[in-house]
Amino acid sequence: MREKLSAKFWLLIVAILTAMVLAACSGGDEDGGDETTEGNAEGITAWAWDVNFNIAALELALEHYDNEDFDMEIIENAQDDIVQRLNTGLSSGTMNGMPNIVLIEDQRAQSFLQSYPDAFYPIGDYFNTEDFADYKLAPTSYDGEQYGLPFDTGVTGFFYRTDYLEEAGYTHDDLVDITWNEYVEIAKDVKDKTGQAMLSLDPNDLGILRVMMQSTGTWYTTEDGTIQLEGNEPLQMALENYKELMDNDVVKLNSDWSQYLAAFNSGDVASVPAGNWIAPSIEAEESQAGLWRVAPTPRLDMEGAVNASNQGGSSFYVLNIDGKEEAAEFLGETFGSDVEFYQDLVQEIGAIGTFIPASEGDAYQFENEFFNNQQVVYDFSQWMEEIPQVDYGMNTYGIEDILSAEIQQYLDGKSLEDVLSDAQAQAENQFK
Amino acid sequence: MKKLKRVFTYLFLSVAAIVSIFPFLWMLVSMTNKSVDVTAGRLIPGTHFIENLKNLLDQTQIGIALWNSFVIAIITTVLTLLIGSLAGYGFEIFRSKGKDIVFNILVLSMMIPFAAIMIPLYRLFGRISADAPLIGLDTLAAAFLPTIITAFFIFFFRQNTKMFARELVEAGRIDGLSEWGIFFRIYMPTMKTTYAAAAIIAFMNSWNNYLWPLVVLQSPNKQTIPLLISNLGAGYTPDYGVIMTAIVIATLPTALVFFLMQRHFVAGMMGSVKG
Repeated sequence: MREKLSAKFWLLIVAILTAMVLAACSGGDEDGGDETTEGNAEGITAWAWDVNFNIAALELALEHYDNEDFDMEIIENAQDDIVQRLNTGLSSGTMNGMPNIVLIEDQRAQSFLQSYPDAFYPIGDYFNTEDFADYKLAPTSYDGEQYGLPFDTGVTGFFYRTDYLEEAGYTHDDLVDITWNEYVEIAKDVKDKTGQAMLSLDPNDLGILRVMMQSTGTWYTTEDGTIQLEGNEPLQMALENYKELMDNDVVKLNSDWSQYLAAFNSGDVASVPAGNWIAPSIEAEESQAGLWRVAPTPRLDMEGAVNASNQGGSSFYVLNIDGKEEAAEFLGETFGSDVEFYQDLVQEIGAIGTFIPASEGDAYQFENEFFNNQQVVYDFSQWMEEIPQVDYGMNTYGIEDILSAEIQQYLDGKSLEDVLSDAQAQAENQFK
Repeated sequence: MKKLKRVFTYLFLSVAAIVSIFPFLWMLVSMTNKSVDVTAGRLIPGTHFIENLKNLLDQTQIGIALWNSFVIAIITTVLTLLIGSLAGYGFEIFRSKGKDIVFNILVLSMMIPFAAIMIPLYRLFGRISADAPLIGLDTLAAAFLPTIITAFFIFFFRQNTKMFARELVEAGRIDGLSEWGIFFRIYMPTMKTTYAAAAIIAFMNSWNNYLWPLVVLQSPNKQTIPLLISNLGAGYTPDYGVIMTAIVIATLPTALVFFLMQRHFVAGMMGSVKG
């Protein structure tokens, strides 16, 4: 009896297994034609991250695109996942399964363009590069060719709580066009008078240093890729400001994104100096409506610095596979030239592009009640045009890993010169 | 004195229990709260569960992802157990000159991290895609094929087979059973606990596998649960309530498998220690 039962049991397992293998394979069959992108113009695919932002923007572009023969599948992938997939696919030399259009963050783009120059298709002929903010062009081009179609701007602003700042004795005019030194002084005042921290920082994320540095048009590397940490005056000054902030207890430390969001949503910090994309997260806390405004980003206290900088932002790239012309045409006709599309983009999705002609449209003049009826989008689009151009090079994130370890020693009392020369030596060893 | 010792023992155990249970509790509570409340660290159950669930169903194809994960995990588990146990049984029961050398090489291969073989493996699947679309890139088969034969399970079964009485094999042979018959009718039923332990480990590994499915599965209808959760957390303004709901759904099957086989699992693990 027992033996019979177990024989039946195994028969059942084998049957289930067979059924599942068949199911798995038939699933594959369905898409078998799709994945060999060689030679099928209809199956254009695009990879991007964030359903509410980039994916929504692509869908909107598809609606605006006046071409009935064009069909595109938009696939959502986390940004890190896109990086992983592209790296695996491109380094194995297998273009199978790669998308036609892919979104890449500007500060990462050069590492792809320089490592796999043949994998991308130059799209400079499909739109007019002069229509776009200057600072977007260097990171999206390589070797004289334009590879990326500039998408959203990471133009930064100094978001602040009007109630806390008023309590500390500051009006909006006092906060416009200030330097980071002044920002530190204001932070101390706010702490004294209201007891609130001025901003929230993650010690492992040096985004704020990049924001400070770019206001002078400088970066960790020069245009020809030479690492310049030692003797980099803007970086030195940025680090001094950073240490001032940390030493004076005006920073609420966070260790991940959710804590960062919580810091301002729960009213624990008086300001958020960050890219404009943080606005929806600030607006998520409806009870704080009317309590926020945005001033221009502080600048470093040196010649040539402007009150405008950038954090994040990404652009679209076309891979050098079949369907590239269709993909490039689609991008050129929508993201590359359609003013109307950009109005809807701002209104429906809240995404601010880097297409300059768009800023004169109606949607950009919108007065945002959450921010005290400020024309936030228009202000951002004006600051965007002033962002100094910087070549982000290949190793921004690699250099930053080295720097963030050194910065801890700087905060513990190591001299600034030693910190930078040590970081320089390490970076040169690693990225030779 | 004895009482005091007891108090401390229980105190320690309670603290340890709270520390290990807290993340699960937080996950369950957060599932019922709004994103803003989750980030603020609210620990009281809220009323947003239905809303979170609705958003999750609207925004993602979680049904398809669950199905894909199930198909991959079950096929992987069954094949892994079958192949791993056959190999482990063979290594232990049959005599052969070079078997220990072969076995040592096999065990050494456990030291190679997956990231090192990922790109060659991807090339391999890319190459065969044109000729064998059923197991090429972007098929579920490609997601489980490289994971079904692992040195770990061969090792695991060999160690456990040391407990298996050889006399049973002899008895089977005398009674005229074929070698396959001995394996399926004597070995398998006797080693039930080992199979249960291995099944849990194989199922969990496959269910949580992230890197390989990530690179090899590209179309949205092939997505597995870990990939879906990774997407949810990747927005500029992630909705933590929805993420927590998805994580709870993703945790349930492994929890279920574990509780169903818990008794065998502990026995099986003890077996491998003794071996």
